[in-house]
Amino acid sequence: MSSPGPNREATALADEAIRPVGQFRRAAPGLLSLERVEAAVSAVRRSAGSIALWAVLAALLVVPIGAFLVQAVSPRLVGLGGPWFTLDNLAHALSGPTLRGLVDSLAVSSVTAVLCVAIGGSLAWGVHRTDLPGRRVWPVLVWALLLVPTFLTAEGWQYLLQPQGVLAQFGIDASGIYAVFFGPVGVVFVLTMSALPFAYVVVAASLLYLGPEFEEAARVHGAGPWQAIRIVIPILGPGLLSAGAIVFAETMSDFGVASTLAASAHFPVATYELFQAINNNPADFGLAAAVGWLLVASAAIPIAVQARALRGRTYAVASGRTRQATRIRLSPATRLVAFGATATLFSLALGAPLIGAFVASLLSGFGSEISVGAVTLDNYRAVLLGDTGLAQPLVFSTIMATLAAVVTIALGLPVARLLTNRSAGRVAKATDLVLLGSVALPGIVLAAGYIFAYNLPVFGAVGLNLYETAPLLVMGYVATALPGQTRLMVGPFSQLQDSLAHAARVHGSSALATWRRVMIPMLSRVLLWAAMLTFAKTLLELPVSQLLYPPGSPPVSVAINAYVAGYHYDVGTAMTVVALAEEFIVIVGALVLFALLAPRGWRRAIGPGT
Amino acid sequence: MVPLVVYSAQGYDSAVTKAFQSATGIPVQLVDDSTGPLLVKVQAEINNPRWDVLWVDGDEAFASLDQQGYLLKGFEPSVAFNSVGTSLIPADQSYIPTGVTMAGTVVYNSKKVTTPPTSWNDLLSAQWKGQLGMNNPAVSGPTYPFVAGLFDYLGGVSQGEAFLTQLKSNGLHVNPTNPDTLHALEAGQFSVALIQSSAGIGAGIKDPALKVAFLNPVTPIPGVIGIDAKSSPQKQWEAQQFAAWVLSPDGQKAMLAGDPGGDSMYWPVVQGIQPLPQMPDLSTVPSKAIDPVLWGGRESEINKWFTDNIAQ
Repeated sequence: MSSPGPNREATALADEAIRPVGQFRRAAPGLLSLERVEAAVSAVRRSAGSIALWAVLAALLVVPIGAFLVQAVSPRLVGLGGPWFTLDNLAHALSGPTLRGLVDSLAVSSVTAVLCVAIGGSLAWGVHRTDLPGRRVWPVLVWALLLVPTFLTAEGWQYLLQPQGVLAQFGIDASGIYAVFFGPVGVVFVLTMSALPFAYVVVAASLLYLGPEFEEAARVHGAGPWQAIRIVIPILGPGLLSAGAIVFAETMSDFGVASTLAASAHFPVATYELFQAINNNPADFGLAAAVGWLLVASAAIPIAVQARALRGRTYAVASGRTRQATRIRLSPATRLVAFGATATLFSLALGAPLIGAFVASLLSGFGSEISVGAVTLDNYRAVLLGDTGLAQPLVFSTIMATLAAVVTIALGLPVARLLTNRSAGRVAKATDLVLLGSVALPGIVLAAGYIFAYNLPVFGAVGLNLYETAPLLVMGYVATALPGQTRLMVGPFSQLQDSLAHAARVHGSSALATWRRVMIPMLSRVLLWAAMLTFAKTLLELPVSQLLYPPGSPPVSVAINAYVAGYHYDVGTAMTVVALAEEFIVIVGALVLFALLAPRGWRRAIGPGT
Repeated sequence: MVPLVVYSAQGYDSAVTKAFQSATGIPVQLVDDSTGPLLVKVQAEINNPRWDVLWVDGDEAFASLDQQGYLLKGFEPSVAFNSVGTSLIPADQSYIPTGVTMAGTVVYNSKKVTTPPTSWNDLLSAQWKGQLGMNNPAVSGPTYPFVAGLFDYLGGVSQGEAFLTQLKSNGLHVNPTNPDTLHALEAGQFSVALIQSSAGIGAGIKDPALKVAFLNPVTPIPGVIGIDAKSSPQKQWEAQQFAAWVLSPDGQKAMLAGDPGGDSMYWPVVQGIQPLPQMPDLSTVPSKAIDPVLWGGRESEINKWFTDNIAQ
């Protein structure tokens, strides 16, 4: 065992990799002293990387969120006056309507997480492992789902179902459905439809590099197809739990449904209580921060469940030897049922709300005297050609969203690597908690935290007047996107066995070249989609845009909001549709370019849609 | 010239700041947003304010900011205010009214309602059971003045709470903001909405079936300019130029032309300026201003009560 460092390490890790799945990892005993020095040097080199990464995460997330959350217990610390230490805010948050909001949020998020994993997991299985008809179309629709903001889904359904809504105009009585929809059921439904893609993407990534050998081994030993699935599901455990965790945290932090459907139906949820505390006059930042703490704490629930279920087992299954899985052939009857179910799912998730919102945008006066005869394109003409001043915000937001997408994937790559680096241990766990905690907080907390942190006079004193500048706005967007996007990348990342990278290193490839020639090509599709998603979410992002935008350069969401708040709903809705169309064109364009231009090997990369 | 940073929620702010800049040469940086986020920004900037001018609707918020020491005191432009304008000027001259709309205006669908309600007590009658909608004052900025004005008229907080509780028993619908309530009215969920006059009059231009009426009394909501007490003397001087220009004939022209069908549907507070032709004559509107300091101080408590007891 006197071979040079990397090779020895590679051998050890290769040994590790060929152990049976699920076996505990143990430290190799009896290192020689020279090897200990080498190990120490490489540990320092590794930790230099993670220290740099943590500095970035601190600047993006920990400092601003901390600056906001600290107000729950010490408002004086951030110059707001009041006591140095108090527990009153937490006590207040754990009583009355804020407590009810929290309980509602926990219930909604738990149900939504289970539904999303079940539905998203089944869809992923159908698309990647069976001959389900339309399996090339469904993944694209999943991505289309991600693009639709939750408030639009909620409002689209409301337009469709409400008394004198779109359906009623066509003589369809939807009042019974509306009565059920207008409350917790509708909230769970809309959130399930909008968080479904997170579950799908994570599970699909897990499935893609799960070779057929596990199913085949089961079948060889006499298991039927359903028993084989039962054997594979535990192997997919990390993917399913990861999917559940991200859905849970995303749902906890949702404000789009909270502020529309849930608010109108008087179903209080935690984010809305938090918003009301901030929106009060004078603003009650202390209470809002206390609710923020409770949201962060709730994000720890799925992490704990995940940690307990996994207990240090490794689930890496993608290696250089992974073969293409054969698809299960469904019987004609099953195919028909599965196709019908999938088509119904997407009609409900995507078709109905978009039709509702789109029809509303075409109606003159928006909702008044709804009649199909009143369809008008004037609203679109005003947006695209008129002097409504919405072209410049759209251009500005497009630039900001592009920058945010590039920075987010550039940072997401090393962060996802850190999270899946099994030797990182506590650092990875702490990073995971920070990221998932950030996902669970609504955007307004991050945005207000950015003001409290980056508008401190100390930054101005050193010439860093960041607040209300485009760079800080981009930072805010990245901070909003990074936690969720990283969670999406972790699934595919954890499927990459370290042996792949180490094999490259053994064959003389440098660390950088290994990233360039092995890791990035393998992950190219995931990175592309993460970039597209960040672009889309940023283009119409509201809370960070509102509080941080540079004077004179309103982002498109702020401009739309101004039109809606100023009673020009028709123009506002038409502008939303134009922005959504831009998102769609950019994404389809990027996917087409990737298919045409990426090297052949990249196209077999990990990622849904393959 | 140092750029003047204007935080504004007025629909005409872009037109007005551009006209001001070309008229005076003072450069303006505009942050146009809803009232809520702007107030959050102002309060979160407490250690290092960036804003110089805050221009939003509702004097309760300004009275509250004034009490916390945010506002420059002792300045009013030397213009001839009309009687409504004069009634809105605070004793310590800490903010400037620039125009006025009315809270709690009755907006009704004339296809369904031939005779709108005629008094506040009328709203409790069986005729209007399940037919009324309003906004949640904890969410919608211009709705608190409506609630505060109603409470003031009825004789105090406990009387006001009793009235709203009865209104709730009579099937009151509560939506988050003006657009939501207006949309629900247009969708036929109820036939009478109690919202800000500019929202109702603006909607009436697009949909002539929607008409407005004023119960006695309604509460004026002034559009208000406040100047940052912590800004540099140079910027405070520029801010005073801005406030004075806004109330000048040129400034009023820009305000009236800047957002037709939206915030331009206001009544001027200076003598000799006519509102837009679609506006009812101000002398026919039974308005009564309330004490913004008294009612501003109760805003948080009343909004919380409303959310817990009426909106749920």
